[in-house]
Amino acid sequence: MKSHWLMVAAMCVVMAGCGPDSSPSSKEPPKPVAGAPNQPAPPLPTDAVPAKPAPSPDSIKVAFVTNNASVFWTIAKAGTEKAKAEFGCKVEFRIPPNGTAQEQQQILQDLVTVGVSGIAISPVTPQFQTDMLNEAAARVNLITQDSDAPQSSRACYIGTNNVDAGRAAGDLIKKALPEGGKIMLFVGTLEAQNAQDRKMGIEEAIKDSKIEIIDTRTDETDRAKAVANVQDTLTTHSEVGCLVGLWSYNGPAILNAVRSSGKLDKVKIVCFDEEDETLQGVKDGHIAGTIVQQPFEFGYQSVKLLAQLAKGEESAIPPSKQIFVPIKTITPENVDAFKASLLEQTGKK
Amino acid sequence: MRKALGLIGLLAGLIALSSVWEHAHLHHSNLKFFTPENLRNLASWIGLFGILSLGQCLVIITGGIDLSVGSVVALVSILAAFGVSRFHMSPWVAFPAALLLSALIGLWHGALVTKVRMQPFVVTLCGLFLYRGIARLVSSDNTLGFSETIPGISWLSTGAISGMQIPVPFVLFLGAAAIVGGFLHLTAPGRHLFAVGANEQSARFSGIATDRVKITAYVLCSLLSGAAGLLFALKVQSMGPTNFGSFYELYAIAGVVLGGCSLRGGSGNILGVVVGAALIRVLNNLVIILEIPSQLEYVVIGGAILVGVFVDEVFSRKSHSTIASQ
Repeated sequence: MKSHWLMVAAMCVVMAGCGPDSSPSSKEPPKPVAGAPNQPAPPLPTDAVPAKPAPSPDSIKVAFVTNNASVFWTIAKAGTEKAKAEFGCKVEFRIPPNGTAQEQQQILQDLVTVGVSGIAISPVTPQFQTDMLNEAAARVNLITQDSDAPQSSRACYIGTNNVDAGRAAGDLIKKALPEGGKIMLFVGTLEAQNAQDRKMGIEEAIKDSKIEIIDTRTDETDRAKAVANVQDTLTTHSEVGCLVGLWSYNGPAILNAVRSSGKLDKVKIVCFDEEDETLQGVKDGHIAGTIVQQPFEFGYQSVKLLAQLAKGEESAIPPSKQIFVPIKTITPENVDAFKASLLEQTGKK
Repeated sequence: MRKALGLIGLLAGLIALSSVWEHAHLHHSNLKFFTPENLRNLASWIGLFGILSLGQCLVIITGGIDLSVGSVVALVSILAAFGVSRFHMSPWVAFPAALLLSALIGLWHGALVTKVRMQPFVVTLCGLFLYRGIARLVSSDNTLGFSETIPGISWLSTGAISGMQIPVPFVLFLGAAAIVGGFLHLTAPGRHLFAVGANEQSARFSGIATDRVKITAYVLCSLLSGAAGLLFALKVQSMGPTNFGSFYELYAIAGVVLGGCSLRGGSGNILGVVVGAALIRVLNNLVIILEIPSQLEYVVIGGAILVGVFVDEVFSRKSHSTIASQ
C-alpha cells in the first residue's frame, strides 16, 4: 500500500502546479540537480504568461503548423528555412501526424506555452476550429496559411487564390481545345472550399467559349475510385475532349486511366499541383499543363510576416488581411525549369 | 505495486531530465513544462485519453483486448453531433442516447466473445472497421461539429474547477479511476475480473459466472470510450469521420501496458494505468516543449514505452528470483 501513497503524492506534485496563476515570480529558478534524475523537480514558480510577448529582435521564435505530412509541406519547410536564415529567427515546424483537429489543438496550446511569438497554421476544418484559433490569437500573432479561417480573429491569411488558379486552368483548357468541346471535372469532394473555388474559376474562364462542362465526378479521396471515375467517363462519354483533375492525385489518376485505355492522343488533360507523375506527364506531352501553388512561398512569407509582426511592424499586414501567393502554370515548355527549382528548394538532387 | 512505483520513478526521472535539458540547451530561465498553463492543458488531455485507458484496462485484465476504441469514439461523437446539428435534437437526449449506444456496442462485443466464442482481437478489429465505416456513411465524410458550445455540457470538457483551476476532464478521469479502481480492487465482482483473466477455466470451476464478468468488462470499456468520445467532441469541436479518434485505441493500450497490465490478462492495477496514461501525454507534450522535431514524436513515445516495459520485465524477474532464492 505504501506505493499507493507515493503515487498520490506524485499526482499532487503535478496538481500543485495547476494552481492559480498568481504565484510569486522568481528571477532565477534553481537549476535541477543533474546527479539526482529520479527525484521529481519541484514545480517552479513562474510568471503569468503575458498576453502578447514582446521579444527582443534576436530571440524571435515563430511556429509553422501543417495539416498533415506530405511533400507539399516538405517544400514549405524549405521556404521557412530560407526565411529563418534571412530574418534570424527560430522556426518550430510542427506536423500533426494524423492531420486531426485534436492534434492541431494540442500543438497550438503547447506552442503558446513554449512562448513562440507567432504561429502560421493550416487549419484542417476552419469552420469548426474558430474557438481554438481565437484562443491562440489572443495570446500570440496568429496567421492562417494554405487554408483560411476568415471568421476567426487570425491576423492575416497567406495562400493561393483558388479562383485565380481555376481561371488559369480554364485558360489551359481553352488552349487545349481551341475548337471547343466537352470536358469532365474530377475532384475528391466538392464540399471543400478550394474545390468550389477552382471550379468557379474554370467556369468563369470558359464562359464565352464553346467549351461545355459535362459534370463533376467525386471520389471522396479514394484513389482507386478516382481512376474508376475516369474509366467510366471514357466509356460513357466518348465525345469528351478534356479531363480536368482539381486535386493533386486526380492528375496521375486521369493520366493512368487514359493511358490504359489507349486514348492519350485523343483526350487532353489539365490538372493541378506537382505530383511526380503529373510533372512526368507534362514533360512527355500527355498532360497539357498543370497549375501549381507555391508552398515554398507559403513557408517563406509566413515566417517573414511573423518575424515582422514580432518586431511590431503591424503595417506588414495588407488592409484586406490576405496575401495571395501567385500560382504558376506549368506546360511542356517550362516543366524542366520548374522541376529543377523544386529540387533545389527541397534540397533533393 | 512495484510496477507502479517504478513507473512513478520513470515519470519523475523523465520530467527531471527534460527540465535539465530545457534549462541547459534551450536556456529557458522559466521551465515551460511547469507553467500552470501547460500543466492545465496537459491535465486536460491526460483526463480525456486516460478515460480510454481505464476502459481498456478492464478488458485487458480479463485477457481480452478492445481495438475498436478509436472507432467507437468517432461513431458515438459523430452520431451525437449529427443529431444535435442536423436534427436539432436536444443534447440532453442525444448524449445519453449516444452513451446507451456505446454500452450496446460493448454488450455486442461481449456476447460475441463469450457466447459465440470469437476471439476478442477479431471481434473488436472488425468493430474498428465497422464503426468507422458507419460514421463515414452517416456523415457522408463531412466534418461535423456542434454548431455552438452547449451550455452546461461543454463545461464537462472545457471547464475548470474554480479556485484551483483544475480542468474538469482531469477531475472526471480521477473520479472514474477511483470508481473503477474501487470496483476492481475492493469488490468481489472486480476480483472476479482478475480471476477470469488469470485462468478462465479454474474461475468457472470455482463458481464465477465468467461470461457475465467478461461482458461487464466489454460494456464498461465501450461505455467509457463513448463517454470520452463525447468529451473529445466537445473539446475539439471538429470531427472528421475518416480520422477523428484514429490511433486512440493504441494510445489506450499503450497506457495500460505501460501501467503494468499484462496482455495475458489477470494482472494490473488502476494506479499504474493512471500514471501510464499520463506518461504518454507527458511525452507528447515534451516533444514540443523540448523542441524535438515532429517526425521523432512516435520514436519518443515508442521508445519510452519499450524502455518502461523492458525495465519492468527485468526488474520483476530479478525480484522473483530473489524471492525464490530466499
